Amino acid sequence: MPTPFIMPKMDMDQEVVTIISWLKNEGDRIEKGESVIEVETDKIVSEIEAPESGILANILYHENDEAPVTKVVAYILKEGESLDSIPIGEKTVETTISKPEEASKDTVTAKSTLHATPLAEKVSKDLGVQLEQVSPSGSKVTRKDVEAFAERMKEQVTPRVSVPATPAARSLAEERGIDLGVLSGSGPRGRIQAADVPMQAPTTIFRAGVTTSVPLVGKRKRIAERLTASYQSTPHIYITVEVDMTSSESARKQINMLAEKEGQLAISVTAFLVKMVTWALGRHPYLNASLQDDKILLSEDANIGIATAIDDGLIVPVIHSANKLSLREINTQLRYLTNQARTGALTAEQVTGGTFTISNLGMFGIGSFTAIINPPQSAILAVGGLVRKPVVVDENDTIAVRPMMNLTLGADHRVVDGAVAASFLADLVTVLETPELVLY
Amino acid sequence: MPEITYREAIHDAMVEEMRRDENVFLIGEDIGTYGGAFGVSAGMLAEFGPDRIRETPISELAIVGAAAGAAMVGMKPIAELMFMDFVLLALEPLMNQAAKARYMFGGKATVPMVVRLPGGSGTGAAAQHSQSLESILMHIPGIKVVAPSTAYDAKGLLLSAIRDPNPVCFVEHKLLYKVKGEVPEGEYTIPLGVADIKHVGSDITVVTSGIMVQKSLAVAKKLSQEGISVEVLDLRTLRPMDTQAIINSVKKTGRLLVVHEAVQTGGWAGEVMAVVSSSEAFDYLDAPMRRLTGKDVPIPYNRFLEAAAVPQEDDIEAEIRAIVSNKY
Amino acid sequence: MTTWKKEEFDNFETTDVLVKSKELGLSQEQLVDMYRTMVKIRLFEEMADKQYALGKVHGTMHLSAGQEAVAVGTGFAITKGDYLLNHHRGHGHFIASGADVNKMMAEFLGKETGYCRGRGGSMHIADVTANNLGANGIVGGGLQLAAGVGLAIQMKKTEQIVLTIFGDGAANEGIFHESLNMAAIWDLPILYLCENNQYGMSANVARVSAKTPFKDRAAAYGIPGYYIDGNDVLAVYEFIRNAAENARSGKGPVFVEAQTYRYFGHSKSDRNLYRTKEEIDYWKSVEDPIIRFEKLLLTANLINDQSISKIKEEMSEVIDESVTFAENSPEPDVKDVMEWVYA
Repeated sequence: MPTPFIMPKMDMDQEVVTIISWLKNEGDRIEKGESVIEVETDKIVSEIEAPESGILANILYHENDEAPVTKVVAYILKEGESLDSIPIGEKTVETTISKPEEASKDTVTAKSTLHATPLAEKVSKDLGVQLEQVSPSGSKVTRKDVEAFAERMKEQVTPRVSVPATPAARSLAEERGIDLGVLSGSGPRGRIQAADVPMQAPTTIFRAGVTTSVPLVGKRKRIAERLTASYQSTPHIYITVEVDMTSSESARKQINMLAEKEGQLAISVTAFLVKMVTWALGRHPYLNASLQDDKILLSEDANIGIATAIDDGLIVPVIHSANKLSLREINTQLRYLTNQARTGALTAEQVTGGTFTISNLGMFGIGSFTAIINPPQSAILAVGGLVRKPVVVDENDTIAVRPMMNLTLGADHRVVDGAVAASFLADLVTVLETPELVLY
Repeated sequence: MPEITYREAIHDAMVEEMRRDENVFLIGEDIGTYGGAFGVSAGMLAEFGPDRIRETPISELAIVGAAAGAAMVGMKPIAELMFMDFVLLALEPLMNQAAKARYMFGGKATVPMVVRLPGGSGTGAAAQHSQSLESILMHIPGIKVVAPSTAYDAKGLLLSAIRDPNPVCFVEHKLLYKVKGEVPEGEYTIPLGVADIKHVGSDITVVTSGIMVQKSLAVAKKLSQEGISVEVLDLRTLRPMDTQAIINSVKKTGRLLVVHEAVQTGGWAGEVMAVVSSSEAFDYLDAPMRRLTGKDVPIPYNRFLEAAAVPQEDDIEAEIRAIVSNKY
Repeated sequence: MTTWKKEEFDNFETTDVLVKSKELGLSQEQLVDMYRTMVKIRLFEEMADKQYALGKVHGTMHLSAGQEAVAVGTGFAITKGDYLLNHHRGHGHFIASGADVNKMMAEFLGKETGYCRGRGGSMHIADVTANNLGANGIVGGGLQLAAGVGLAIQMKKTEQIVLTIFGDGAANEGIFHESLNMAAIWDLPILYLCENNQYGMSANVARVSAKTPFKDRAAAYGIPGYYIDGNDVLAVYEFIRNAAENARSGKGPVFVEAQTYRYFGHSKSDRNLYRTKEEIDYWKSVEDPIIRFEKLLLTANLINDQSISKIKEEMSEVIDESVTFAENSPEPDVKDVMEWVYA
């Protein structure tokens, strides 16, 4: 049997050597101990000696090939031996050895020849974006590309859970069947602590964790019936006014800056309005009343309904006792109720008991409109969109561009006289234009 | 019950065990006539003679190396190093030889030795004589690390350490030597690897060892008068650590503070916190886990800087208050 | 090129084995046995090298081919029951002290049947129950343990000694000085054997050692020291036996430095760039311990070409069997990875 010429392993962790050259050729006579191959490891150049004497044959790895150690690289034939006795599979070998390093080198150079516009470079520095990571939409990386990248990065940083809470709080909430979303946290950054989780789900306003919705069958029909009744039986009086929302918007902006710093939800325009409306209602109780048979029932609490458009119609969830809630609480509830409305999860309790309704079509770009009162309430406020307009702002007829908003109050004339309605609306405008008054 | 000092408790443990077992001997510098740098071996030369109270040249490497060799062939050496800082000269025999012999030889060797290490700061001995190095020692599998905080624990744990068939590092805080405590007469041992709750509480778990146990207890007593209930858990053994005791306590209180004198970075507080957050105790946490440790600085010479470099009672109190009031 | 000056040695070169063996009280059988053991070691080391080249040994090995006379001279000279501490090039010493080559080969292949159940490998081979406290992966590691073992022997008052074998490199470690000092002040029964094969890893002794021969360093601690031709197996036997007796007598430690040479590189990563092929060839031919002893035995007619071939064949078989044993042995169970960390 021909002697296999095995490439010896010469080092720990060694798997291959590179053949620099064969010092003898196939067919040459070699002697045991004679240097036959020059090889290179990653450390050094070495010479491999022949393990036996004979004729060198069937070289399997050639110059510049990588030969695996402990494997056969050639055969040595003694007198009378031939290669025929070796199985074919052992006489040949695949020499396609991939060289992954070169491939990655190419991609690295490709990246470094990327061009970006000077503006893109500046913006990337401002936004803290690694320019090399941004792929160009065209031939160069533009400012838009960098900004889009930054947006995507921000999204990825958004936390998985919307409500920060300690593990103990989460366990307790789960045990007691309470939705963390309805709780407010006393911990830093709005974190809900175990102490913030009540023994039972708060029942006064909403039930947390409700997964079934009360089917409002024939909703459309009901809406139709109610509104018809309202329209027909309730004499509506309408008063319109335009409000300069500069101060209110400024106040809201200030509040939201603090809210953001503390990781709290931003206060919406509607929530802000609700707060102001409850202030005004506090001064004009007849706007917060209802006519039942022959009695005008004046409600102690302002339960503000928010007309909300959903897939199959209109629904009016109610923020109960809004006069007793802080702006933050109103905002949290409003958001919660809106979500509930959109997912069809509102309960009967959540849509009854309202004493005043706000309807806002501003998001559709509506300037002003008149709304129909929701019986048995005696008033409804229709809110238009914020439009920046030039207006006269002082006695010198100075004109400035201000964000103006139209409010149309619809009131039940049986309960509310024109003057009463007007004075309510005036107070509302005053507090919206001078928000500090809400402290009074 | 009689009261003796921490130093006397260690002395008594060695004397009693050396009377009981003739293979036990003490080896170290100046342990004979001088009675040991901290006076722990006073009187032992007279009773046991120079063979068993074996004074050495200043050769920490050889002291610990010889202890390992003698232990491998059936003796039970107690090596006393003058300062814990000097164990750095002897890390090789401790960590490469003693810690690994049993494993490398397929379970066919045992190395029953104790290395006693006076450590810690507060005596003005400055950077090279004041360290708390237990975090390095407990990193090596094969070694056990013990750090008693009272005279009672010191005696019981040292007896167990001497009888333990493994290499044990016994850490003695220098400021504890003169602290008295109740120690019963008669033989008793405390098993290694078992923690001790020194003050029961329900609002926060303070995991600690050595002299920080004393400081934490003082704070716990003070805060209990204000209705803040602090549980002080004395680990006693750092390796193997009584992880179950820690987990049980945190499940009860929901809050964790680890206090140690050793430096923060790479300090064993991280180990405790990792144990807790990887366990079922995680679900019961109602505040972030916190640690209060030595600052990342060599121990300064000036006494005020020295005190500022490691946690004091005021620091422990402030940190507990902050945690229970949800400041973090 | 490194050669040695024979006039510096404390021993006389063995020129006539019959005379020498009478002097030392060795039988002719024992002489042939010594030869056989040297051949066994050489073949074992060559086989270990081959197994490595075939990729069957994980890690590295430190081969002692060329140092057989020190191993055999020492192994035959000490008493069974004496403690042995070795360096990491210890296969020869291990075999000369009676180790089972099957269990050694199994340990190299990491098998459960190895001396250390596959947990130690070549550098940490030990047979603790036979008082062989192991090879040590740390240069000088045995020197500190020896101080402790010597101390234990003294305290227990047994008649043993501890033989600690280390290389020329270890003589420059701090522990060398701490150990010798400690042994000297306490008169510990330690035989310090420095196997000087003239190179640390790649550093020639002369380049890195202030004050050689190393026996002079022992003298600095008041320890009697000897400097001998480590490739003269009977000289080694003579000096080790005497030194062991002295150490055993309670007179204190003794230091023997044996000059020798290694053929293989320091470890399996060594490409021998720090010495020439000429030098290695010189030692392999002119000063080879086996060739020298063989010549002397031939002259004394204690062996002939036939018996030499027979011995080589027999030992070859024994070594081949050890490989078969090792290959057929099971790997340790991975589930047991955490066993034996603590007692």
